Amino acid sequence: MTEQHDQAGKLVVLERFRQVNRSFPKTKEIMEWRGSGRKVFGWLCTYVPEEIMHAAGILPVRIVGYSREVDLDDGNAYMYVNNCSFARSCLQMGLRGEYDFLDGVVGGSTCDGARRLFDLWRSYIKTPFHHVVTVPRKYTERAHALYYQEVLDFKSHLEEHLNTKITDEALYKSVQLYNESRGLLGKLYELRQREKPPISGAETMEVSNASFRMPKEMFNDWLKELLNELKSSDRFYSGRVRLMLVGSVLTNAEFVRFIEEQGGLVVTDELCTSTRYWGDLVTFEGTNSPLEAISRRYLNNFPCARMFPSEERFNRIVKAALGFKVDGVISETIRYCVPYAHDLPLLEKRLGEHGIPMLALDVEYGTSGSGQIKTRVQAFIEMVEARRR
Amino acid sequence: MNSTGSGNKLGSVIRACRLIRRMLRADPEARQSQFMYYQMLEDYFTRVLRAKEEDGFVVGHTVFFPAEIIYAMGLVPMHTETATWTMALFTGDCSDILASGARLGMAQEICTPHRGLTGAFASGALPHPEVMLWSNMVCDNTAKSGELIMEVCNCPGFFLDRPFKRSQHEIAYLVSELEDMVHFLEERSGKKMDWDKLSEIVARMDRQIELVRQINELRKNVPTPFRPQGFLELLTVDYLFPGQPEALEYLETLYRELNEAVKVGKGAVKQERFRLMTLFIPPMYLMGFLDRISREYGAVSVIEPFFTFWGEGRLDPSHPLESVARKSYMIPEMRMYGPLDDRALGAIVNCAEEYKIDGAIYYADVGCRHSCATIKLFKDTLADIGVPMLVVDCDVVDATVTSEEEVSEKLQQFFELLEDR
Repeated sequence: MTEQHDQAGKLVVLERFRQVNRSFPKTKEIMEWRGSGRKVFGWLCTYVPEEIMHAAGILPVRIVGYSREVDLDDGNAYMYVNNCSFARSCLQMGLRGEYDFLDGVVGGSTCDGARRLFDLWRSYIKTPFHHVVTVPRKYTERAHALYYQEVLDFKSHLEEHLNTKITDEALYKSVQLYNESRGLLGKLYELRQREKPPISGAETMEVSNASFRMPKEMFNDWLKELLNELKSSDRFYSGRVRLMLVGSVLTNAEFVRFIEEQGGLVVTDELCTSTRYWGDLVTFEGTNSPLEAISRRYLNNFPCARMFPSEERFNRIVKAALGFKVDGVISETIRYCVPYAHDLPLLEKRLGEHGIPMLALDVEYGTSGSGQIKTRVQAFIEMVEARRR
Repeated sequence: MNSTGSGNKLGSVIRACRLIRRMLRADPEARQSQFMYYQMLEDYFTRVLRAKEEDGFVVGHTVFFPAEIIYAMGLVPMHTETATWTMALFTGDCSDILASGARLGMAQEICTPHRGLTGAFASGALPHPEVMLWSNMVCDNTAKSGELIMEVCNCPGFFLDRPFKRSQHEIAYLVSELEDMVHFLEERSGKKMDWDKLSEIVARMDRQIELVRQINELRKNVPTPFRPQGFLELLTVDYLFPGQPEALEYLETLYRELNEAVKVGKGAVKQERFRLMTLFIPPMYLMGFLDRISREYGAVSVIEPFFTFWGEGRLDPSHPLESVARKSYMIPEMRMYGPLDDRALGAIVNCAEEYKIDGAIYYADVGCRHSCATIKLFKDTLADIGVPMLVVDCDVVDATVTSEEEVSEKLQQFFELLEDR
């Protein structure tokens, strides 16, 4: 059981983040933005550069599905059950009008689920603007050149659609804002390196979920407040074992809370909704062009399992696992999330070479943990704890 | 993870091909092209096994990979997914290789052709290649299959990154990727690329595509002259023999045969009642049954937009590598890989109209996510022009997913529905 010692335990700002998450997609913040005559775009994958949209005066929000277990009747009907439940969940929300305020949707050719979600969204949900970015699967200079061209094409398409010019100055400002956000999230994660971190894995996910669901300017201000609150708080968590969470897209903080309730403290992750979202900064090494810097960052960022070679992903997972002194790794793979499923045998081997055990869970997007998962997590924590003794 | 990889299942495939040729000899209705087809299959897999025995250089590659390059370098290609499919088709059972894949830790989510493929390498059912080439054509399974195969077979590999769309800069990227792949193969095999030979192969491939287009024109006739499930031959020839002389010989023979049949008004079945569009691959282990029921009901597949209906364009032998890159955007299946826009959907509508389709059958492979996600979209698209579509849940390799009885019942109901219309 994770322990918590604190006067009140409650963090005021965290409650605000929770409210954003509870009311998403039609949050007060998004509706106010739109109410002021400004546009809101949805993006489908972390390989879509948000800064381009932000620099055009758009509020980019991430399209995600229901962060809880729900029947996906419409999602199944339109997408068939053998597609990942994340894609089906997103589509169902779109079909049911929950994203009807969006002025545009931007996707990437990242995985089968994402590209089909984009195809069906375009065919059945009449969002006014659509764009799909080709994302190479390699990191070579040639791949960077192709991706840069794709980012440039996206910018041009957006300029044409909005009848506006996205200036370098606006891009610089957006980069600064997004980098600030990444840096602040990095500070939050630094706190989790402590033996007894002041924030749990579930709470951290609540913060990171809000980061792509509200204006970045506001998010950064709130996160600064949260960091100050944490600094002055004497709350801390500890668990029987320290864990890292890796795998498919995950937005349900209750799933993390469930693991922590079994005694495993989640201290870091490799999730596209958390570390892989904010992990790397946009840097201006070797270029003055903000577009080039943005493009390079997005392709070089902590990779998704879709990228080649997989060693890059494995190396970064191992590095994070060692840096955060984790005792074990839990991999959650959404059923039919093929890129992550393919990586499991090799990832388990790589972690094993560093003495880090891994539990591979097959889950549905939105799950908060159930009987079978509970049994497996408990057994894994016991095994890891026994190894540590 | 390693095993010797003796290739014992390929031996079964070769023996089955021989047996089928003997049976065809006893069939007065059998066509010369059918003999040729099974001879080609036998030769293809024999070449793989012989190369392993004689210290040859076998290049494993995934589906839609530009095997023209492998042939031009005098290396021996082994089309990995086709090897899995043919094992299912000719041996009727893939449970052992699927179990072998599971033992490696391959999850159920991974489609059976790829689970079976890696399992086949691990169990020795397939011989280990000297190098493994793979690409992201056409799905995540192909894109992610190579690294584990490299580990299992203890061989080096090359991943070919094929861009999603078809802009000029994306085609240029693919050409550069192909150049890198040629260098990789030269380094690993010690053989140099024969550019003249590649040009010859590209010229033949261009002719090959033209022949398929001409054969399709003949298939427009009522009654259609090509066998109910004959399109699988076209598909396999395209997969295994791109730009090869035997492919041209086969297609020219087939064209002549079909042309003769058209001239005398002879259809593929005694009484053609239903002209069908086939979407995706039927279960391999039910091919015999599907052939029988098609003949019984007079139902013939006359077009397959994602298998035999090539996209527009010609190949230019004077620019062989660029042609190979451009071909990857003309491959029928690639309509499914790029953005599924009006152009891709328009091809289905055009096919339905030009080939006078009565109905479409969608073989929904439970392991194929990117295709199954199109079921409703295709059904709605065809419904707009009054063409009904049947969905048959199945698995291309795993016989435990659906039974002959289930498929039979569905098909009969569908044929009755078509009859009532």
